[in-house]
Amino acid sequence: MRGDKVIGAGTEAKEGLGIRVLVNGSLGFSATNDLSKEGVRKALNAAIARARRVSSLRKSPIEFSENCLGKTSYSVMVKKQLENLSIEERLSLGKELWKTVQSSVKEVKVPVTMFEISTSMEEKFIINSDGARIHSIIPRVNAGLNIVLVSPSKGSLQRMIEFGGSGGVELIDYWRMSHRVRDEIPKLEKVLLKGVEPPKEPVDLVAGSEVVGLIVHESAGHPMEADRILGREAAQAGESFIKPEMVGNYRVGSDLVTVVEDPTIPGSSGYYLFDDEGVPARPRYLYKDGLINEPLHNRHTARVFKTYSNGAARAMDYNSEPIVRMSNTYFKPGNSSFEELLEGVELGVYMKSYMEWNIDDTRWNMRFVGLEAYMIRKGELAEPVRNPVLEVTTKGLYSRVIDVGKDLKFYPGMCGKGEPGQGVPVWFGGPDLKISKIRLGVISH
Amino acid sequence: MIDPLQLAEDVVKKLKKDFDDVSAIITWKNSVMIKLWNTEPSVTQSWINTEATVYVAKNRKTLQLSLSIQDPEKIVERVSNSIPALHRLEESELYAPLPEPKAWKPLGGLIDKAVINAIDSPKEPAQEMIDAALKEGAERVAGTLTLNHAKRAVVTNKGFSGFEEGTSVEAYLRAFKGLMSGHWGYGSRHLDLRAIRDVGSKAGYFATITPNKVDYEPGKYDVILSPLVIGNLMNYVGFMASAAAVLMGYSMFAKFKPGDLVGNYKLTLEDIPRDPELPSSAAFDDEGTPTYNKPIIEKGILKNLLHNSGTARKMQAKPTGNAGLTFPTPWNLRISTGELSDDNLPKELGNGLIINNNWYTRLQNYVEGIFSTVSRDACLLVKNGEIVGDVGRVRVADRMDRVMKNIVDFGKNLYLIRWWEVRTPIKAPYILIKDVNITKPFA
Repeated sequence: MRGDKVIGAGTEAKEGLGIRVLVNGSLGFSATNDLSKEGVRKALNAAIARARRVSSLRKSPIEFSENCLGKTSYSVMVKKQLENLSIEERLSLGKELWKTVQSSVKEVKVPVTMFEISTSMEEKFIINSDGARIHSIIPRVNAGLNIVLVSPSKGSLQRMIEFGGSGGVELIDYWRMSHRVRDEIPKLEKVLLKGVEPPKEPVDLVAGSEVVGLIVHESAGHPMEADRILGREAAQAGESFIKPEMVGNYRVGSDLVTVVEDPTIPGSSGYYLFDDEGVPARPRYLYKDGLINEPLHNRHTARVFKTYSNGAARAMDYNSEPIVRMSNTYFKPGNSSFEELLEGVELGVYMKSYMEWNIDDTRWNMRFVGLEAYMIRKGELAEPVRNPVLEVTTKGLYSRVIDVGKDLKFYPGMCGKGEPGQGVPVWFGGPDLKISKIRLGVISH
Repeated sequence: MIDPLQLAEDVVKKLKKDFDDVSAIITWKNSVMIKLWNTEPSVTQSWINTEATVYVAKNRKTLQLSLSIQDPEKIVERVSNSIPALHRLEESELYAPLPEPKAWKPLGGLIDKAVINAIDSPKEPAQEMIDAALKEGAERVAGTLTLNHAKRAVVTNKGFSGFEEGTSVEAYLRAFKGLMSGHWGYGSRHLDLRAIRDVGSKAGYFATITPNKVDYEPGKYDVILSPLVIGNLMNYVGFMASAAAVLMGYSMFAKFKPGDLVGNYKLTLEDIPRDPELPSSAAFDDEGTPTYNKPIIEKGILKNLLHNSGTARKMQAKPTGNAGLTFPTPWNLRISTGELSDDNLPKELGNGLIINNNWYTRLQNYVEGIFSTVSRDACLLVKNGEIVGDVGRVRVADRMDRVMKNIVDFGKNLYLIRWWEVRTPIKAPYILIKDVNITKPFA
């Protein structure tokens, strides 16, 4: 919906078969949606023949780790079925949000909002020659709102708010979208109208949980993907600053830094109990007490690392090969309240949300540009700050973590990787963090 | 094998009595991708798929269905099952009747039998690309080679019936030597082994261009961007030229109207669907409107937004043959050429940075065009016309309109570029831009 008007509606129904084969040590993958015997045979033959024909280019055979594989069926239970979310209710949500946005601003204009809501059901059957047989059904709900605020004298500000998780329509009640928008928009208006530049000298930064979630996804999750460490994604999403010999002994942050990856969180966007190679899912501690700890593995990378897969193989759909992916990544919470994080900060900045971000292809040099942000003066929040730029290395940031909040919050995202690109739903999150003495930049005008 | 045109015609015939507008787009593809890792294949992927997209409208209410189904009866059943949902929708703000069919001129030269023949045996071109990089002195390479054979049919209830068949090749390689790396990419309708070898050679060239690592200070630099980098940035400009992006708040062109100055007078950016050399060439769009080449920006002036029928009606313009049923998009892009000599880029630059490749372009604000992107592969510091060394990864953090206004000149040669970060194929040259903001992490 654009504002309170419908732009379009759509449905998608995809079904098909993905086949992975190992032939002469060469890995082949083939996908088809022609599920006739002839179609399946053709896809299988293509996978085998094409892998065989390039196998002479391989110097050593690809092998898989020995793992216990699952034989089970599971599904996400819902309180309200997806089909119970009517067209009228979807339209009503969009209109309500448009009305809420418009009534939440005083001086600025909101020329456009874009609202999308989608429900999806993923049914998957994994079977392989090593014995895995996993049937799963995962329903998901997602919504997103893009808002543009415009002031004739101060320019514009753009915010995208996303909601997502696995489960039923009950998620929508839980999200309280209008409440969140009503709370946030007036604050963004103040940022646009009254935001100041951040201090020029290094100051303490309190990073909000939304920012922290993205930081750990980008600078702990991605560099700890073992295929990336080994270089399998070198020409696409890149490699990693982490080398195999650094696992278990390289200090990347203060001893307050623990980052966890856990597909088994109920209700999460990245939820699964068995990965797409049939390996049972479990929490993985990527960074533990400041040390690089356990990479994410599929059965191939695990074999190279002489270990066992920890269940990180995911395929976007039948059309995609399973590769090492994140699921739900978060910074482990500590004990401090938000007020305690602010305590003792003579001059600092609180960065609650962001818009622009990126990181280099080794996951070392990263940038996050704040959206809702405030000065901290004598331990209390003060005037809004506009577009503070946190540009720092991975170790530069994690080594400056001096206090950790106690409230863990998650945010949904679509993580991209692979060739052809695969987008898989994830959560990322964390508590608020206090980061010592860091210089913030400004956007070049 | 399913006949895409027959399937599309069957679907429209069965559905047209129930709707004001019906279109069916059927695509079929047979493709193979070799993915390379540490100078050997990591996986050989194949796809043999038929996809159906059906668009229906009734009383200005619209619905689009994407189905991986080949049986016309089942497609019709799915669409028919959606009729109650369609009735409960509201009118689409971007509804326009599907266009009456116009004569369209098929494009020649879209099929290269060498591509079709190589799909089942893609080893040779992959090997050629690898060898070319190693010959330049690279120690290891990663990349992909993709060969694709595709068919596409579009049929509407207004009488349009179109079919196209084509092949395409996408090759890109990243070459490494020690801490250095270089990258190049290529996209075409044809399997040109010399061009494939060039991908390897150029990646190897940049990976071995200097052994020196040097530091840099953040600030304003004159920069030469490679065709890969400008290809990536112009993909964003092309996206923002979509009228839907303007309407939805995802475009800096929301602040401008056709006729406004948006870049240096030397900049011309065109959408060229009728260029049969690039992989996304097409003779008609997803509504059956004939395509034509057009400037998006001409001599620095915004000339055209890209429209389908719906956005055109909303913005009182004419469809430009760029549907996208909901979101018009460019097909292939081309940038103007200039006087820079590709063989002597450091001398042309004098002082500044030469950036081989980039990734992860993100915007703080689409309406303002505020963005940053991160370099990868060779990023060369040039002083007095000589390469001093590689500075590693830097971040370009600037405004898109300012970058376009600060263009100084273009290279004489156009390169056919497509890779992971350049999804809309482009013919792009090297480009010299002054006063580009380069940042550096604090710690």
